[in-house]
Parts: sequence; structure tokens; C-alpha cells
Amino acid sequence: MKHVSSNIEVAGEAEVRVPTRRALAKQQTRAKVLAAARHLFSEAGYEGATIRDIAAEAGMSTGAVFANFTDKSDLFREIMAADMDALVEAMRDGANRGRGVDDVLLKVFVAGYAFYKSRLPLARAAFGVSWLPEQGLELRNLPPVQLIQELFTDALVQGVERGELSQEAEVKLRSQMLFDCYLANFQEAIFGGWSLDALQAKSKDQIRVILAGARRG
Amino acid sequence: MSLRKSQKEATRQRVLDAARELFEAKGFEAATVRDIARMAGVSVGSVFTTFSSKGDILSQVMADRLDALYAELDRLAPHLRGSTPDRLRSIFAIHYAFETRRTRLFLAHIAAAYNWTLGPTSRPYGRNPRLRAVVRDCLIEGIARGDVDPAADLDVVVDALMASYAWTYRLAAWENADAEAMSAVMDRHIGLIAGGFRPPAAADR
Repeated sequence: MKHVSSNIEVAGEAEVRVPTRRALAKQQTRAKVLAAARHLFSEAGYEGATIRDIAAEAGMSTGAVFANFTDKSDLFREIMAADMDALVEAMRDGANRGRGVDDVLLKVFVAGYAFYKSRLPLARAAFGVSWLPEQGLELRNLPPVQLIQELFTDALVQGVERGELSQEAEVKLRSQMLFDCYLANFQEAIFGGWSLDALQAKSKDQIRVILAGARRG
Repeated sequence: MSLRKSQKEATRQRVLDAARELFEAKGFEAATVRDIARMAGVSVGSVFTTFSSKGDILSQVMADRLDALYAELDRLAPHLRGSTPDRLRSIFAIHYAFETRRTRLFLAHIAAAYNWTLGPTSRPYGRNPRLRAVVRDCLIEGIARGDVDPAADLDVVVDALMASYAWTYRLAAWENADAEAMSAVMDRHIGLIAGGFRPPAAADR
């Protein structure tokens, strides 16, 4: 998680004082590498994109890439983390617009699908990475991922508080299952080319089934 | 079968056997076609007369593994007893027990499906149509037995079960979870999903 916090510091500093020319050049190099890596991960997947290809696409040496990122997984994590901050914002907006627990959850789901609609190949690469022992767990432990899980949990807790769901709603387990379903539907988008409407309809049914047991009692 | 054909078949089988061992021992990325050829005792050229790529070999290894799994499941299915949720628990437990015999191979196949390594028709195994059919049949039998709501949307229930099944398998990648640990998690998920397909009368009792 080191790279995430250092990233945030850099952004914060840039606002208060003018960065040196050297710092600016470094930022530009990083941005160029990240753009090249994003493009290649989207075209060839995580395994298929090598540091050498990424360096070539960015027009620099592999040494210059390694001066800015420790390894390929560092690069990938940074790209995902940058996207996910915006994703969490979009999902939170969705949650705030929702009325009732089903609708809140549905709007969170759909905000996620809408966000990734224009970058499905990258999402596909991320799913590949998520099955790797080390990198998968790192991805799962990214702070924004935890925040997404909290959005699901909060929606359920509020459902219990409003009396829509029973006190014994097993919030934690149900929240996990909702996240599983949310992620599983990406397969339809990635491999089946499903539209947002189709994903929304399917999600709505899934949410209904997962909540059904919590409504009784 | 002609001699030439049977030789070709023997080569093919040797390549698949070698690949299965190497993918499991070294991992899919690390195992090269040259390694596979050497272990199988054939030339690299003859591997490529039978298979178009390493991804193609992986797909075939997995297809054969799944044939064995479903043979096992077909054998056990008539002996399943108890409520529909319990039968579902058994079906998924059988899968986890089978897959954890070769965890790395299964993980490699899933990762490869997302990594553009396999052909466009390959799907991550979570989409496995045979498992979907088995689960669906179990639910349909449940309707007949009276512990599944006839009004339940079976496709949605199957989807929810498959999502839980596939993502619980991730515990194998992340935490080295064994079959028992994953089955325990899946059992709880099934319990919750069962709340969505139980007939209303059963819930009131």
C-alpha cells in the first residue's frame, strides 16, 4: 500500500508549492509509463504485457521504468487504485440516490458496471490478476475495494435500521455475497457483451434472491 | 484405428499427461512447451502438430479433468440425500474436493481465460455449463420434493450459487484454503441463498 500513500502525498504537495523541474519531469515520466502500461494491459492482459513492451511503448528504457516502479505488479496496482478512487465516488453517488435497500444496492452495482463499460479490457486483466496468489490478495486489500465492500454493508445495515430487513440479516455474509455477485456479472459484460440494461435486470433479480431470506422473520 | 492414428493419439496423451504434471508443479507461465515436449519424450515440432498453442494444451487438460469430475459426480448424484440445500452443499463440496487435488492447474486455467492466453471461446470455469446443469437439475428435483418454490427464478438462483462457488474458490489462491474450509464457507452461502428459493409455506412452518 506504500505506493498509494506516497501518491497521495505527491498530489497534496503539488497544491501547496510549485514542484521543482526535476519533480515535474519525474511526474511526467510516471504518467507516460502508466499510460503505456494501461494500454498494454488492456490489449494483452497482465501476463501478456512485459515491462520491456511497456518501456518501448512509453519510449524509454526498462531502467527508466524500474526507476519509477518496483515491478509490474506495482504498475498494475497503481493503475487499478487510481481508477478505483473514481469508481468508489460513482458508487457512493449511486447509493445516495437509491430509495430502499434493493434500489440502493442496484444503483451501486450499476454505477460499477457503467464505470467499467469503457474499460472492460482492463477489468478483464484485473480479473486475471485477482486469481494470482500474491497480486490477487493485494488487489483485494486495496483501500477502495474495502470501501466498496463497506458500501454493500452500509446499505444492508440501513435496511435493518429502517426495518426493511430483519435483525438477523447476517449482514456480513450477505454483503460478501452481494460483492461476489457484483463481480461475477462482469463475466457477462466481458465475455458476453451484455448491455448495461441487461446487467441491471440481472443484478436486480440477484439482489432480490440474496435479500429474500432476510425479509422474513 | 490405423497405426499412424494410434501413434498420434499416444503422442497426444503423453503430451497432455506431461503438461498436467508440469502446469501443476511449475505453474502455467513457467512451464514451457519445450519442457512439456522433453517430459513427454517427443519433439517440440510434434507437440505443435497436435496443439496450436500452450493455451490449447491447457484447455484440453482441463476438459479431460472435467470429464473425470463429471463422471465422479454422475456416480455420486443418485446417492445424494437430504434437503435441496444439503444436496447442493454436497455437489459443491465434491467440486472443491476434486479441484484442490490440483489447485494450481485450476487457478492457471482461470487466470489464462482472463489473460487472452486461451482462445476466444474459452470461459473461466465459473461458467461451466455442466455444473450449471447439475445444480439446476437439483433445484428442479427440489420443486418436486416440495422444498423449492415452484415460482423461484431458477436461473437467478443458479447464478447466485455459481457466483458464490467461483469466488469462494479464490480462498484457495489467497489463503491456501483447503476443500473443507471452502466447503464450510459455501455451506453458509447456500443457506442464505436457500432463503430465496424456499417455498412460502415452508417458511411459515
